[in-house]
Amino acid sequence: MMSEKYLREIKSKAEAAYDKKATLGPDIDLTEFSVCSPHEKIDSIEKISQSMKEAALYAGIDLLDTGNAATYVQVDRSAIFEKIQRAFQGKLEIMSISQAIEKYPEISRYYWSLIPVDFDKYTAFAELCQTEGYFIRIFAHQQIDVPLQACLLMSEEARVQSVHNLIILEEGARANINTGCASVKGNKKGLHIGVSEFYIGRNAQLTFTMIHNWGENFHVRPRTVVEMEDNSFYSSTYVLLKPLLSLQTFPKAILKGENANANFQSIIFGKGTSIIDVGSNLMMENRGCRGNSVSRVCAADQSKVYARGKLVSYNDEAQAHLECKGILFSHQAEILSVPELEVYGAPQSRLSHEAAVGPIEEEAINYLRSRGLTKEEALSLITRGFLNVDLPGVPQALKKYIEEIIKMTSQDLM
Amino acid sequence: MLHIEHLKVAVSGEIILKDVNLTIGEGEVHILLGPNGTGKTTLLMSIMGMPGYTILDGHISFLGKDISSLSIEERSQLGIGMAFQKMPTVPGVQLQTLGGLIIEKHKNSESLDDIAQKLNCTSLLNRAIGQGFSGGEAKRAELFQILLQRPIFSMIDEPESGVDLDNIALVGNALRELFERQLVKTKKRSGLIITHTGYILDYLNADMGHVLMDGKIICRGNPRDLFSDIKVNGYEGCARCEQP
Repeated sequence: MMSEKYLREIKSKAEAAYDKKATLGPDIDLTEFSVCSPHEKIDSIEKISQSMKEAALYAGIDLLDTGNAATYVQVDRSAIFEKIQRAFQGKLEIMSISQAIEKYPEISRYYWSLIPVDFDKYTAFAELCQTEGYFIRIFAHQQIDVPLQACLLMSEEARVQSVHNLIILEEGARANINTGCASVKGNKKGLHIGVSEFYIGRNAQLTFTMIHNWGENFHVRPRTVVEMEDNSFYSSTYVLLKPLLSLQTFPKAILKGENANANFQSIIFGKGTSIIDVGSNLMMENRGCRGNSVSRVCAADQSKVYARGKLVSYNDEAQAHLECKGILFSHQAEILSVPELEVYGAPQSRLSHEAAVGPIEEEAINYLRSRGLTKEEALSLITRGFLNVDLPGVPQALKKYIEEIIKMTSQDLM
Repeated sequence: MLHIEHLKVAVSGEIILKDVNLTIGEGEVHILLGPNGTGKTTLLMSIMGMPGYTILDGHISFLGKDISSLSIEERSQLGIGMAFQKMPTVPGVQLQTLGGLIIEKHKNSESLDDIAQKLNCTSLLNRAIGQGFSGGEAKRAELFQILLQRPIFSMIDEPESGVDLDNIALVGNALRELFERQLVKTKKRSGLIITHTGYILDYLNADMGHVLMDGKIICRGNPRDLFSDIKVNGYEGCARCEQP
């Protein structure tokens, strides 16, 4: 167990920050939501209800496919299913965060270490009313090519799910982790808070994919920080294609080690009255760090999408690029691209950005129509193509899966 | 197959086609000649129904049906296809993806890979349409799509421009294949091809040539003869031609 003193300290900091508004995103009245309920553990994935399987599928998690290296499923506040395939036992661990805290006293070294518990009211809430989360550790020099999957579902109306996730890749480890967060059909209102702290050791490689699929009256506040050591690689792909009330996230990668390489891709489709504030922040602290931050944003109806990107270099030979491309589909929609490049005493750093927001060219639509596609089919095809960005490090099978998710959810986009 | 009467078309308020009359029968391939800016591409775009080409007078009928009010895709589904002079860029949409959809839409059984190989397009399949394509690559990719579509009536806008001499034969043979293959036992494909160089005449048995000048077809005849005359006398010679 973590020391009582440490736990008391973080709890007291959280209490002090309980009303601290976040600097970005609309403020949420936390009293509107009650904490979600516990569920019984199940021993077989077949026992997960059909509606939950469907919700998971739209968030990129196939709960029928047993070919994954490991699977974690959480419903509301309970980890209901955890399994590691036999071939991967001893190479990795996957369990709920509460189990991990119980099992490993040394976890305090990682717990609330990258994200201050008093960062804002949402981090504070995640500490004071924590509703589980996953713990994944890949042992040193283990290379897990088969994806791992973690699924966080919300089944009850007007509840808050506030998870704390921890991923540790030890030296030389390699893994692909696919996470899906979704509300079960019919659950339209809720709040999801996700605190995620990832540690990527020397020469380790993590490819992380997160697909969200929430009800239309959901607020979502992920808080993610990744720490990277020498020669490590991190690729993060975030996908949000369904309307919700608001989402604000600004994940940060701290490239502490030499030649660390971080890549963020955000694929966003704003619909309805969604307010979406997304981005990525690369802090390149050591020599030779590299990175990319790419976003593809579509905004329709009355949606408003902020696409942020921040590249900061503190050391020479850093090289990073920021790219934001957007398509606006309506006169009431808004896209705001907010690039920031900062270099501190590192004259050999090269940081760049490009941004472009515009309509789909009529010429391209008419060209496709001349081949027999209807206008709606042409728009959908171009939109899909626009959202299908190059995903460095992402295995081919996962890329195809993301394409499928985009295809599935874009069929009713127009 | 295609019948155009007294067609008058404006683009951005300017009248480009003044009075065009043209009939292309089943199995016939016609060649359209004329100096730059006289409305050749405008005629093809109007037949395809592209926006921005406003029909002020006259009508276009295809297979006995007036198509003036049909959408672009309806015309395509009826069997009209077009290889464009300039291929637009369609970011993110791979040539292969569109090729697959063309086969599906037109219920054809063509082999995408075989046709790509025939037109030296295999390396273009995974690229976004038009993105970074050279002039010759764009032409080959246009013809690749037309061969997948197999329209009853194909309009080809300058198939050989920008194509190097090594690939001219590829383009020429592809067009020959397009027009010579029987659609069904009783019907043959027809076409209208714009050419400036005339190279394409070495590969096709074109039935008729038309010279379009100042928004009207001012001369008709054997395409090879017309081309030879133009080489000697220029288009001014056509303007003096007595044939209406």
